Amino acid sequence: MKSQYFAGIDIGSTMTKIAIMNQALLASVVGPTGPEHRKLANEVMEEALAKANLPFEAITYVVATGYGRINVPFADKQITEISCHARGVGYLLPEVRTVIDIGGQDCKGIKLNDNGQAVDFVMNDKCAAGTGRFLEVTAEELGVNLEDMGRLSLEAKNKVEISSTCTVFAAQEVVAKLSAGAPLPDIIAGLHEAIATRIYGMVRRLKIEREVALTGGGAKNIGLVKALEAKLGFPALVPPEPLLTGAIGAALMGRDIVKQAGESGTTLPRSERRLQEVSLFTQ
Amino acid sequence: MAEKGAGRGLATANKYYQDYGGRARELKKQGQRIMGYLCALAPVEIISAAGFVPFRIKGNVNEPITKADSEMETIVCPLVRSCFDMSLKGKYEFLDGIVIPHACDSIARSYSTISYSLGLPYSHFINIPHTTKDISREFFKAELGTFKESLARFAGKEISDDSLFQAIQLNNEVKAKVRELYQFRKSDPPLISGTEVTKVLVAAMGIPAVEASQLLDDVIDEVKKRASPPVKKLPRIMVVGAEVDDIAFIKLIEDSGANVVVDSMCVGTRDYFFDVDTGQDPLGSIADYYLRKLNCPRTYREWTGEIYEEDLEARFGDIGSFVKDFKVDGVILYILKYCDPFGFEVPARMQYIKSLDTPVLYIEDEYSMSTIARLRTRVQAFLEILAR
Amino acid sequence: MEEQKWPEKYPVEGKRGRKYGTVAAMKIGPMVKAAIGSSVEAQQEGKDIAYTFIECNYDEIIRAMDIVPVWTENYAGICGAKRDAQRFLEKAESLNFSRSLCTYALCGLGFDEWREELNDMPPDAPWGGQARPRVMLSSGQILCDPRNKWYQAAQQFQPDVPIYNLTGFYPIYERDADFHETEGYYAKYMMEDLRGLVRFLEEHFHKKMDWDRLWETLRLADETTDLHVECRELRKAVPTPMDTGDAMNCMVPQAFMMGTQEGYNFYKDLRDELKYKVEHKLGVIEDERYRLVWAGGLPSWFALSDFNYFWSKGAVFPVESTYNEQVYSVRELDLPKTDDPLEYIAWRSIRRWTYWYDKARKRPGSEPDVERTINYIEKYNIDGIVVHEAFSCRSWHVGLIWMLNQIAKIYKPIPVLILGKVEKEEKTYREVPSLILESDIIDISSYNEADTRARIDAFVDTLEAVKSR
Repeated sequence: MKSQYFAGIDIGSTMTKIAIMNQALLASVVGPTGPEHRKLANEVMEEALAKANLPFEAITYVVATGYGRINVPFADKQITEISCHARGVGYLLPEVRTVIDIGGQDCKGIKLNDNGQAVDFVMNDKCAAGTGRFLEVTAEELGVNLEDMGRLSLEAKNKVEISSTCTVFAAQEVVAKLSAGAPLPDIIAGLHEAIATRIYGMVRRLKIEREVALTGGGAKNIGLVKALEAKLGFPALVPPEPLLTGAIGAALMGRDIVKQAGESGTTLPRSERRLQEVSLFTQ
Repeated sequence: MAEKGAGRGLATANKYYQDYGGRARELKKQGQRIMGYLCALAPVEIISAAGFVPFRIKGNVNEPITKADSEMETIVCPLVRSCFDMSLKGKYEFLDGIVIPHACDSIARSYSTISYSLGLPYSHFINIPHTTKDISREFFKAELGTFKESLARFAGKEISDDSLFQAIQLNNEVKAKVRELYQFRKSDPPLISGTEVTKVLVAAMGIPAVEASQLLDDVIDEVKKRASPPVKKLPRIMVVGAEVDDIAFIKLIEDSGANVVVDSMCVGTRDYFFDVDTGQDPLGSIADYYLRKLNCPRTYREWTGEIYEEDLEARFGDIGSFVKDFKVDGVILYILKYCDPFGFEVPARMQYIKSLDTPVLYIEDEYSMSTIARLRTRVQAFLEILAR
Repeated sequence: MEEQKWPEKYPVEGKRGRKYGTVAAMKIGPMVKAAIGSSVEAQQEGKDIAYTFIECNYDEIIRAMDIVPVWTENYAGICGAKRDAQRFLEKAESLNFSRSLCTYALCGLGFDEWREELNDMPPDAPWGGQARPRVMLSSGQILCDPRNKWYQAAQQFQPDVPIYNLTGFYPIYERDADFHETEGYYAKYMMEDLRGLVRFLEEHFHKKMDWDRLWETLRLADETTDLHVECRELRKAVPTPMDTGDAMNCMVPQAFMMGTQEGYNFYKDLRDELKYKVEHKLGVIEDERYRLVWAGGLPSWFALSDFNYFWSKGAVFPVESTYNEQVYSVRELDLPKTDDPLEYIAWRSIRRWTYWYDKARKRPGSEPDVERTINYIEKYNIDGIVVHEAFSCRSWHVGLIWMLNQIAKIYKPIPVLILGKVEKEEKTYREVPSLILESDIIDISSYNEADTRARIDAFVDTLEAVKSR
């Protein structure tokens, strides 16, 4: 049987991710989203196709997910990131029953059943505290590179308590504490603690079950991973490329859909397959 | 003149929904007096009996709240704030007065603010007990009597028992017709969509009962004659919440690939699924209805059974009946931020709904539809889970 | 300026750098701690324990029946003051309670669920923890939904604890109606509801009410209130001997110890202290420049030190509305004669809650809260109004903006009569600026100290500008 290829595109508020798969992951691209989702979706897709050495026509099915999923005209289906993250993590780490996804501007908790399917979820996409944004804003206030925040937090001797949950207030608070002489790593550890508290508080509503996986940009922050593990009371698993679980899951869902259609003999509705640039204001 | 005739029901409902208050404005020009009210707990029977057209004040999910903020704290329920905002912006300029029942803190504590700011010729607050004891009913009946006297003074004429009796009958008629309309939602797929029902019910709450009755007749007639259902066979959803006075959220669910087939909300079954008794004591019957029959969490229901699950059944059993009768696949618990009566009940409600082996999605929202993208993701994810 | 002479028995500095204006206030912490400790002991000994709320109208009933009250709002306030409420709020949130709900209730629910889970007090529970009750007494009351729903929510994880829910209404103020026409059936309702409460307590605690003892307890409570009223009157003095910061502590016996000898003794000592200070012109601060009224809102229990900040700017609060709602002497209330203590309680409650109604009707545009604030402005020589908006409490914080707007509308600048140089009476006018503080009762994550201090600074500047005109 001719090999089938599936593409998953995850347009988050901060980062856009693509995964092209057949039996395994063939190619992936991660890039910043920016404001023009539609234009970007095409560009990132082309980049991924080039990496996989495939023409667009070779892709059997495209699934779009994430915040910008409605802005992908060449996608055959849109599925929420909850289902896609569940599917992706279920594939990469089958023993996981709770997923905590920490994105640039939102965070989610997803409960999985034994088949790696989402059965319940919680989301926070309204408040920056508990998301990457919180660290971005405070890092800027402190004059520290975002990439260094995690590492620095681990150097703390005495974690400083940050009581504000509002990002703006917290930023003011850290400046005050810095001026009062608190060491930088101690403050940064306090910030990680604050985020971990918000995230943990949200996910607890799901009745956390092991194993727990962390995904999204936040999972690449070693300080945040440690802070969350401290809250959980046990180690968490982080997949090798934590930003890609949504896109991988989306591609796999595409594969599932095609397989099911084949078995039941139904025809699938497909999108108009055009990978051309669409301006932001087209109908 | 109110539109009548078969085939015009849904179109009329749509017209009254889109131009909410338009009919009341017309009636005012014709010399009628319009009495505004908030919430399903306002005794519209007494208002009608006094010769006023009861008009339920609603908010607008698409209009940002601006004027209200200079007078009313932002920790008030967003729906109440929106109602107040719309009033301040002159959308309900035809009102002759306003009646505020003791529904919840947001409403009760805003009474002064609302009544002074709107500067209407008449305003009245009706205290409603929190418990359903006999002494509470007695108190409430006396309080309704006070309201009746106050309204009669403003109306310039007595309110006879007979006029109360008639108003009760007329409103019961409307309730019965709504229940009849809901029967068309039992089929799979339903013969009327959730969006359409909400439009009809919202339209009905802004016109006199006699016109609402006619409107419902027309709608039922039209729906009965439908050659085919207006929607496809899709997951059957029940919405549980406080006041939903706009189609936005219902439509979002339906656009995401589901049918809203039943509810426990107002405007919905909460207002229409029980009748006021027609006995010798109209004021007592009205007291019984609003205190004991209308099922809203602001009223504390005494625990009477043995085990906790019996308490849940007593409080939420209507949800269980609806889930069964309307073959509901999933329940969405849609609660506004800053809502105390429902907010405190969320864990208990979720426990109850789960005991029915029915998946439940809990959403806390802010009333305004600026959150629509977030809502869409949650609803869609829930439907994806249901699909398995 | 002459140094204030502080006698030995009324020293000036309190503990931990926080200056207590009165010695009495310093006793409150230990008193509350002892009460909480003894309720925990009582639980261990299997004694009769009830959860209850302040200003419930049945303090004396509980005391007369030797039932140990656990004041859940107070315990939440303690957690807040000790800045240890967050973990309980988070616990409640994990159960799917919205963070926008009353944070007293969230704290209590989080604590109780945790206690049930562990079958023991949560680790390092403040002051030993909150004792598990045998019954829970709700008082819906006209202005508080949480008190109607909180304990019901708690039954989800302690379903063996029954509830009695008392409504406790008073007539709402209407501009065009005389509440005297309705108060009769309000009183009857409350009286009957209290009767139901007594029956409930008798049934669940297997003991009978001693009605004579109830009368005694009521008398003691009334006398205690009289002392409290005296204290409030004494604060009219310039300089004021006691500030709202203190009052937030000194309200404890009125709120939680009515009908006890301890409560009575407390206000007697406080009265004596204030009398002494007034006689010797000992004020809360030496250089009293601005007198403010705290006209609404519960305080931020974790930020009572903000009052110190006001003091450092020369501002004091001789009077407040919060927790003063029931502080009226029965001699002023024109209570009907009755043999029935429950009828007595019902009328006393209604009269207290409608205290300002008749006066408000005499002034166009006034309402009871507006009228009370105006009264305080005039009697206490007030320069400015402060209110606090706590985000989680609709009950006490909705309507404050309206009240401030209304005062500004209907209360013309105070004419102040001064004897001029030629022995003529001159009038001068003083505006009354207002300040809104925003935070919460116990959720510290809502509080921004820098912002709060900045607002206070700006307000003080305004007060100064008005004063120097």
